[in-house]
Amino acid sequence: MEPPYKILVVDDEPDLEPLMLQRMRRDIRKGQYEFVFAHDGNEALDCLAAHEDVDMILSDINMPGMDGLTLLEQVPKVDPEIRAVMVSAYGDMKNIRTAMNRGAFDFVTKPIDFEDLRVTIDRTLRHMAEWRDALATRDKLVAIQNELSVAQKIQLSVLPTEFPTSDDYQIDGRMEAAREVGGDFYDVLRLDNGKVGLAIADVSDKGVPAALFMMSTLTLLKGSAIGLGAPGAVLTEVNNLLEEENEAAMFVTLLYAVFNPSNGLLTYSNGGHNPPVIIHPDGGSTLLPATEGIALGVAPDYEYDESSVTLSPGDTLVLYTDGVTEAMNAEGEEFGLDRLCRVLSESPSGSAKDTNSIIFDAVREFAGETPQSDDITCLTFRRSES
Amino acid sequence: MVTNEQENGATTWTVADTKNLTIEGERSSGTLIAKASGRIDGSNAREFQDALETFLEGESSSLVLDLENLSYISSAGLRVILLVSKKLQKSSAQFGVCSLSVSISEVFQISGFDKIIKTHNTRADALSAING
Repeated sequence: MEPPYKILVVDDEPDLEPLMLQRMRRDIRKGQYEFVFAHDGNEALDCLAAHEDVDMILSDINMPGMDGLTLLEQVPKVDPEIRAVMVSAYGDMKNIRTAMNRGAFDFVTKPIDFEDLRVTIDRTLRHMAEWRDALATRDKLVAIQNELSVAQKIQLSVLPTEFPTSDDYQIDGRMEAAREVGGDFYDVLRLDNGKVGLAIADVSDKGVPAALFMMSTLTLLKGSAIGLGAPGAVLTEVNNLLEEENEAAMFVTLLYAVFNPSNGLLTYSNGGHNPPVIIHPDGGSTLLPATEGIALGVAPDYEYDESSVTLSPGDTLVLYTDGVTEAMNAEGEEFGLDRLCRVLSESPSGSAKDTNSIIFDAVREFAGETPQSDDITCLTFRRSES
Repeated sequence: MVTNEQENGATTWTVADTKNLTIEGERSSGTLIAKASGRIDGSNAREFQDALETFLEGESSSLVLDLENLSYISSAGLRVILLVSKKLQKSSAQFGVCSLSVSISEVFQISGFDKIIKTHNTRADALSAING
């Protein structure tokens, strides 16, 4: 709200207009106030329709045609944000009460004390400015919430909820989104010769741009995985495609692995993602050895290495995002990789689904009342006993 | 930038002090040094970016980002470091980070950022690498 503030004065007394202009001349000259005049309620409504930028109304109560109390009822239909100050005879408490009950912001009494009127007008305008600020802030918040819910829908729509089943393995994936949308995702791909592809990723940043970046990563990954097969080559291609148009310097940590059920070999390439954990049937755990990769989208022409391990029957591979290991408790401690391994070693032989439940329960119990600040995601793969 | 204080003859500024993060700036023989203390995550990455951009505004100097007192950095924070690095690269200025704690160093290693951002053990190492 910027001066001059436009004030609509409604009064049937012809003397008021010159008097008002004369007494408020300094404020008019300073560019503080601007006045428009109407002589009854009907004229005032016409005036409001013609001047959309009226900031407040100063209105008499007793007028021929439409009186001030009726006008008060009509104003919100034209503009619910305009405030009205009523002018009434001294001691006319009944009308003043009615006016206040009908939503008048304040009142002054006749004969008008112009000093008091100026204070009242300023107070009303200040209130209006604050009110409009509050409305603008609310609109912005609504827009942000809409954007976040769009992002969340994009994110949830791409995560598989049904997983391939086989005698050779079990798979279960789960994500709990933070209130502010992040960009975690996982994917499971059926490949030729009974092989299965497993991906887990975390996009930097939040909101719609991150969700769109995640969408393109996922689409590119699917295409490359089916076309190229070898995880190192897949990451190299996806990285180059992502990097081409990436002014915003977003990036995604992505681990892609292919499991071959015929020999138990897991071949994988790690683009800057947290090292997955393997839990063995005896409760021991190992980390998937690093492959020296960089997060995708930032380093053009980088060649991603790949590596292989054999998953023994009964081994469980847990892919997770940093929402798990960096979950915090009230003391500001992180859940941490050690705790994750410890929790997993206590029940090494559950189903993939059980394993995910154990992780999510442990993280929730650890965090207690501390709000979740990042997506928590796990993709668990278990090679059957035999 | 808020304060001006004299410390061993060097001028330091408080560039930003907000939401668990303080950025202090100083200049050492033509190279700007920004020291980030606290934590950088999704809730203050925007402020971190604004602070560094304000700090670098109108400058063509090289920059050292001292992370000695940084306890945590999320991917949103890494993204800002990457943006700054790209920007400086365009203007042919040098950039490096120094004094990473064990946990911050791990984040750089896991994400592979240590391969695209120059990291140095100490501020002196970083300065001598930049100034030749």
